[in-house]
Amino acid sequence: MHQSRGIRTLRTIAGWLVVGVFFFPIYFWTTVAFRNAKDIFNWPPIFVDFEPTARNFEQVFGISLGFGFGAQEAVTPGGGNFYMAPRLWDSIVIASMSTVLAIVVATLAAYCLSRMHFRGRHEFVNWVLSTRMMPPVAVAVPMFFIFKQFSLLDTYLGVILVHGLMNLPLAVLLMKSFFDDIPSEIDESALLDGASRWTIFRRIVLPMAKGGIAATAVLCFIFSWTEFLFVLTLTQTSIKTVPVVSSTFVTSIGTAWGNMAALGAAAIVPAFIVIMLVQRHLVRGLTMGSLKQ
Amino acid sequence: MAVAQVKRIAISDSPIPWLAPLVALLVVFTIYPLFYNIWLSFHEYFPRKRAIQFVGMQNWQQLWEDTRFWSSLGVTFVYFAVALVFEIVLGMAIALLLDAELPGFGGLRAILSLTLVIPPAIAGMMFLLMEDAQFGVLTYILNSLGLLDKTTPILATSSTALAGVLVAEIWQWTPFMVLIFMAGLRSLPAEPYEAAMIDGASAFQMFRRLTLPMMSKVIAVAVLLRGIDLFRVFDYVFVMTSGGPGTATYTLSLYAWQQTFSFIKWGYGATLSLVSLAIIMVLANIFIRVFKVRW
Repeated sequence: MHQSRGIRTLRTIAGWLVVGVFFFPIYFWTTVAFRNAKDIFNWPPIFVDFEPTARNFEQVFGISLGFGFGAQEAVTPGGGNFYMAPRLWDSIVIASMSTVLAIVVATLAAYCLSRMHFRGRHEFVNWVLSTRMMPPVAVAVPMFFIFKQFSLLDTYLGVILVHGLMNLPLAVLLMKSFFDDIPSEIDESALLDGASRWTIFRRIVLPMAKGGIAATAVLCFIFSWTEFLFVLTLTQTSIKTVPVVSSTFVTSIGTAWGNMAALGAAAIVPAFIVIMLVQRHLVRGLTMGSLKQ
Repeated sequence: MAVAQVKRIAISDSPIPWLAPLVALLVVFTIYPLFYNIWLSFHEYFPRKRAIQFVGMQNWQQLWEDTRFWSSLGVTFVYFAVALVFEIVLGMAIALLLDAELPGFGGLRAILSLTLVIPPAIAGMMFLLMEDAQFGVLTYILNSLGLLDKTTPILATSSTALAGVLVAEIWQWTPFMVLIFMAGLRSLPAEPYEAAMIDGASAFQMFRRLTLPMMSKVIAVAVLLRGIDLFRVFDYVFVMTSGGPGTATYTLSLYAWQQTFSFIKWGYGATLSLVSLAIIMVLANIFIRVFKVRW
């Protein structure tokens, strides 16, 4: 459509303003991570003009970042009230291992659903989709009891299993859509040449679907990284992921907003970076493979 | 000849080894919890006896008389409906606005996708801070605009608490709709619009007669996926209000979770989560049939 220059300028400004509104909370939260208490609790709130400090990060991660203008306190690992480096590690271990689990299982199944014809295939896909509808609370409670029985409560293995399972519907449907993009004539001609399904899958199709696997893995990682209810329910003291441990910064004597924002920012930045890497497949991922960009 | 051969090979391939790991895991994750919840809903845990005992239909009967259950169901539906309407309307408006090649718009789309990777619990914290009555920046902005009385704490007032939670929800997930709708808009063919331009159709007419019908599949998928998540909302209310003040923000998921883990009513908690599951399944399946969503 041809629009006049005036309208185009207005539209540009409107677009920037709208996205600015959505970006503002992220900006504000990030600045809170670099503020002293007095700049957090000020009224009227301070938008730009605060004294930057690295203390929140130093307290949360037990390292001295060597900048800031306030008094430097020696912070030793394990010494601060909110020493959170191990929780960041928990998040990384759980998100990456559960991603591996989901990808391995889902890739096998998705290849089969994309290539093989069998009775009830359509119903099977619908069943996988319907498992996405389980409310987490309806899963978490039975899982709590079965985990208690098998001593899986509060262990990496337990949370990894649940997060891997949680991501299966997404991973299966998304991988299926990527396999559907690869022409099945390739498989068929290899079959005629006498190759087995397994060989075709491993040698031909998997290498061609690399980009799709990477995009699926990133989304699984993010959904595990951001998950709250299962970790809240299935862990106690020895492991906790960042979103759950953040909620413990709210104490009866007040909330450690600066520390919480520092931990939050440290957890969000890696997710920002990986989501940028999969922009091309983002919509396909968000719609579980239903829409291709 | 070649086709027949391929078919024969394809049929002789068994899907079982490929699907077995998936089926095994999904059974653990869905079928087992389903039956366990059903079993548990006819039992109750008695902390003093430290035992689970059969109680018949007691938990199901309790549902009818439990006003907190009905209020949590009401809160969940209001949350679901308000968030969905806002996210669809705002999402479509912003998608239409940004669907142009203007300076920086590519970057704007990338910035919008950032909200989606923030853990909802942390997004809840962000808004908890911004809506604080003493120093919250959102409180300040609303006060300055004259939209909110300084003496009204947003999240501690029954009439505004749910709106306060919804702000976080809508902020985080409107970009989800924007990104999906924009992808849909870009895939639309140009010819119908050119024809409509020649016929002198207005922009609004083109949106209603061309864009909306052609986008119906895209909108249906987005609404289905978002709707499922909205109905089981937990994170935001858990971190922002814990259901309060009173029962103003108690959602069904939160109520079920609390019955199980805070009040040790395992049987009743299971009953509540079954209700939640049943409602999602029924609504989602009706939606899939009516709008013919296919994967």
